[in-house]
Amino acid sequence: MSATTPTVVLSPRERLVEAVRRYGIVAVFVGLIVLLVATLPQFRTPANLSNILQQNAVIGIIACAMTFAIISGGFDLSVGAGAALASVVGAKLMIEAGIPFGIAGALVAGLLLGLLNGLLIAYAGVNPFVATLGTATVVRGLIYVSTNATPFFGVPMGFTVVGLGRSGPLPNATWIFLVVASILAFTLHQTRFGHYVYAIGGNIVAAAEMGIDVRRVKLAVYALVGFCAAIGGVILTGQTASGQPQAALNYELAAITAVIVGGASLGGGRGGMAGTIVGVFLLGLVSNALNLYGVSAFWQPVATGTILIVAVGIDSFSRRSVFSIR
Amino acid sequence: MGHKAQGATTEIAADAPPALRTRDISKRFGGVVALDGVSIDIVAGQITGLVGDNGAGKSTLIRILSAVTSPDNGSIELNGAPVHFASPAAARAAGIETVYQDLALAGNMPVWANIFLGRELTRGPSPLNILHKGRMADEAEQMLSRLSRNMPPIDAPTARLSGGQRQAIAIVRATAWGSNVIIMDEPTAALGPAETRSVEEVITELRDRGFAVLIVSHNLEQVFRLVDRVWVLRRGRMIGDRWLADITPEDLVGMITGASAVLRGQAGERS
Repeated sequence: MSATTPTVVLSPRERLVEAVRRYGIVAVFVGLIVLLVATLPQFRTPANLSNILQQNAVIGIIACAMTFAIISGGFDLSVGAGAALASVVGAKLMIEAGIPFGIAGALVAGLLLGLLNGLLIAYAGVNPFVATLGTATVVRGLIYVSTNATPFFGVPMGFTVVGLGRSGPLPNATWIFLVVASILAFTLHQTRFGHYVYAIGGNIVAAAEMGIDVRRVKLAVYALVGFCAAIGGVILTGQTASGQPQAALNYELAAITAVIVGGASLGGGRGGMAGTIVGVFLLGLVSNALNLYGVSAFWQPVATGTILIVAVGIDSFSRRSVFSIR
Repeated sequence: MGHKAQGATTEIAADAPPALRTRDISKRFGGVVALDGVSIDIVAGQITGLVGDNGAGKSTLIRILSAVTSPDNGSIELNGAPVHFASPAAARAAGIETVYQDLALAGNMPVWANIFLGRELTRGPSPLNILHKGRMADEAEQMLSRLSRNMPPIDAPTARLSGGQRQAIAIVRATAWGSNVIIMDEPTAALGPAETRSVEEVITELRDRGFAVLIVSHNLEQVFRLVDRVWVLRRGRMIGDRWLADITPEDLVGMITGASAVLRGQAGERS
């Protein structure tokens, strides 16, 4: 790397705010783990830890993909519907044509939904909120119509190995999450495509002026998100051995929350895969802790929402002072 | 992709055609005549100035030179050969780079990433396009150090830098890719005096390295400090051109405002 070290001059206060912004979430995460280990004996049991990993695998995969959309300056509200679509299509095909067709069909369905979102956003110029809210509503509606909004069973029980089985120390769903997260982290941080996602989110006009095909990059981002939502849907199918029209309800908001808590900005251009993963498991730990402390499940959204607001509040505050140039 | 020593010490032959020249360019927007038979020569190893009041047609001319807009009539010659560019990318590929006022920098990305934006160096198997970050950082640092004394840290997010440093990054990027004509729209309009100086030094350095530099400026003091030969647009017409050494600021203001019609005409031979 270069021999120069960044010597941007910041005031002590700016440096503090910057440190809080960059490492605050990690500190909270570590602090929470310490607190839980110290106060809750049942927290550190292998069964509970494995449970946390398994419960957060699907949302983790979706949040990692969502990171691309958010850094590019958009987001995708259709990931929950996409996962449900993959679950229903996959389950139906598994029942009628076998597991390989089911997996392939589920992934293709998610990819097509992602491509549709991408075409609407990148080429038709529809706002990401409107485009993905629209496709999410339509897809969820079509799922309800075609299934009468009732789960259907008959997926080979052997397929639950994907959702519930384990290999070595970790649940299989967690292995899948690890593989997907590694590939996505590499793509975002080491490849030209990931670089362009940051460029588009940072200054889309500059990216276009410098010859980057911003539409194609956006199309690829939403296709990627749709595909990963489908991977999540396949795992959900593997958890219940059924097609679940109600699967992954509100996962889009959970995923976006995790990404933002992990340090990304809804304005685009900032964020990263490590932050998103910390965000996912921070929220997962909080929900696990509330469970173990015996707090009513109704309190969970209260906690999640509070964390979101605090995280975004710190971010907005720090950017107001540090990035005062723009 | 290297960094060519841009004809660094090549003597420009006296009869060499200008690096970029327009002949009788006209452009209408609806009923409004933005440019009316405009000709300009932009010569290698010189800083050419383009001045004129608001609405005189400077922006339109620049947009035509960088192929953002196409002219209704007239021709453009690059090193004496007629050219027609279908897109800004085509003009850039032919060596004409434009630094716009917005600078086209992604503030969230480090300096090196902005210099290589859209031209990233990659390694490994081609479908992966793995970024060669270390090499880009090293090369960007070399490019910057050759032009700018006020070196920004190569890894810093561009939004954190001063206006002058950002301007320098945009200029370095424009000059780094085998270009020979650099067009700059108000390069120091947003800068304080000290930063204006350092950017002017960069621009002078470009001239000395043999680039053909075109500068649009409202600041007549700057025009006199920096520019070798100035062209004056008034209401879409090229009023004339002058060697700065031959005229006074009053003469130039007269040409811009039309207060002194006697000044119409051409610059003589440079002494």
